[in-house]
Amino acid sequence: MADRLLQANGITKVYGSLAPTVALNDVTVSLDHGEFVSLVGQSGSGKSTLLNMLGLLDTPTSGEVRLDDLKTNDLGKRARAGLRNRRLGFVFQFHYLLPEFSVLENVLMPTLISGDNKADALSYGHEVLELLGLSGLENKSATELSGGQKQRVAIGRALMNKPALVLADEPTGNLDTTNTDQVFRLFRQINKDLGTAFLIVTHDRRIAQQTDRILEIQDGKLIQDVLSPV
Amino acid sequence: MLSLRIAVRFLLKSPIQTVLIVAGIAVGIAVQIFVGSLIASLQSFLIDQTLGSSPHLTLTAKAKGEFIDYNQALRIKLKKNAVVKAVVPQRTVSAIFVKGSQSAPLSIKCADATKLDSIYKLKSKLKGGDYSLGDNEIIVGSDFASGQNVRPGDMIKLTLASRAVKELRVSSIVDLGNKQANETVAFAGTGFGRAALGASVNRYSAVEIQLSQVFQSTAIAKNLAGAFPDITITDWQIEQKSLLSGLQAQSSSTFMIQFFVLIAVALGIASTLSISAIQKTRQIGILKALGMTDGRSGTIFLWQGLFLGFLGSLGGLLLGLGLIAIFSVTAGAKPGSFPITPQTTFVIVSVGIGLAVAMLSAILPSRRTARLDPIEVIQSGG
Ligand SMILES: Nc1ncnc2c1ncn2[C@@H]1O[C@H](COP(=O)(O)OP(=O)(O)O)[C@@H](O)[C@H]1O
Ligand SMILES: [Mg+2]
Repeated sequence: MADRLLQANGITKVYGSLAPTVALNDVTVSLDHGEFVSLVGQSGSGKSTLLNMLGLLDTPTSGEVRLDDLKTNDLGKRARAGLRNRRLGFVFQFHYLLPEFSVLENVLMPTLISGDNKADALSYGHEVLELLGLSGLENKSATELSGGQKQRVAIGRALMNKPALVLADEPTGNLDTTNTDQVFRLFRQINKDLGTAFLIVTHDRRIAQQTDRILEIQDGKLIQDVLSPV
Repeated sequence: MLSLRIAVRFLLKSPIQTVLIVAGIAVGIAVQIFVGSLIASLQSFLIDQTLGSSPHLTLTAKAKGEFIDYNQALRIKLKKNAVVKAVVPQRTVSAIFVKGSQSAPLSIKCADATKLDSIYKLKSKLKGGDYSLGDNEIIVGSDFASGQNVRPGDMIKLTLASRAVKELRVSSIVDLGNKQANETVAFAGTGFGRAALGASVNRYSAVEIQLSQVFQSTAIAKNLAGAFPDITITDWQIEQKSLLSGLQAQSSSTFMIQFFVLIAVALGIASTLSISAIQKTRQIGILKALGMTDGRSGTIFLWQGLFLGFLGSLGGLLLGLGLIAIFSVTAGAKPGSFPITPQTTFVIVSVGIGLAVAMLSAILPSRRTARLDPIEVIQSGG
């Protein structure tokens, strides 16, 4: 497998046609397998827009996104959905758990969508819940949990299909300091143990300092791409 | 079957909404089944009451006063027709009953006893005596019997058109449900009719026909007229125009009721599913972000439609049959009323329509769901 996981070449995103907003302006960036990267920038600078492009949730106005050396621009919606399901994991500021399903079912959802082997998925789901300190909550409704627990379930869901890359958009934006630290420790541990790459959007410098590489974006332009001093 | 599972969970998440819409469909389908069966039963009751014991088609010779030739070709033609239920070739003998200074005219239908009963249901109308039509026997109407003081077993003297006088034994008395008929109509056997009219074997006054589907009479009459040009055909649909238009008005008003009930059911399901699809936008968006395809997410609401339609139709079936059962032991059990029987094909069609309407109503929300772009949900936040 090539070391290069994700490559974005000159991506530009313009919103609207009457009063166009350039949310991303000619951004070129790449991610390797197993990297632990943060993306910082002021509110409105284009962080979420970039993450959505890299996560194949949105398409750039121009430029290309390659995942596993595959030109994703040319792919149909079905193929892109398949790649999101198998290669990527998402954690958003809001947990987006399905209130109609239990904690375990929420975590299993990506395998339910891919239709992979049930028994394997079930045992891995339990493993993931244990790793996240959620054992014993399997059959609770997702609505019964605390904020920190919900976000950990969402992380479990993102990990379920053993993705190559987890894209996290301000995953701790709604959490207190204790929970924030716990989530970051988990990300780090998963990154080390499973070799999963992470791209974490945050506006918290303190958190960004703890990642291996920091990307900074300003007014839609990538202005900094540095390895962390630590 | 993830979309099926999701559909069920969505429905279970809002149980009251689900129960209400199922109840709405059930009431609609129940009304369909009840009203449909009621009107159909009323229809067949009315048809039975008015046409059940009279011929629907009567064949006579074109030339007045002549006999009709009931030949092999005509027999086969009638036998082959599946709608033809009973065929009675009969000879009508006019006679005058004389007793002392009194006299009364009688029109005597002469035919085989079993055949006569198949159209006129005489056995069930017996007011005394035994149903029998031997060569010297006669059955008279109840008003004639009471007016002339005649009892079963009595011998009565009749003067025929040929002035010949015949003596016949009254085997029984019938109530034909109509004063004039009860005074002037009588029945006798084949042998008496042949002898009285001097008719040869295949010659009859008329061939009377009853059909299993009364509304087919005109079509059959047309068909017969084409094959047998020297026959005159009397069709009940032409003779009894007002009865026919009454029956038709009833059918079309039933159709209108059913049509509007269906529209109401369809609107109910469609609006509930649309609301549900909007309520679940967030869930659908995240499922798509996680890799669920458009087509598959669209089937969630088709499943919901199918479920609601199935449960609603099932509930409607039970409710409808329950209403029919209640009607049968209350209003329907009163004298002069009629039994209401569930019309099997109608019940099946109603349930089928319930399902189909539910599925059709699910199409719009389903397409809306399929079109939803996950980015809309992700960007809109919490
Ligand atoms: N759907 C949209 N339509 C129009 N403008 C948008 C849309 N999404 C984002 N933008 C604009 O693009 C810019 C970048 O937004 P975003 O990527 O959400 O910033 P960040 O995540 O860094 O706060 C902002 O100016 C924002 O207003
Ligand atoms: Mg953002």
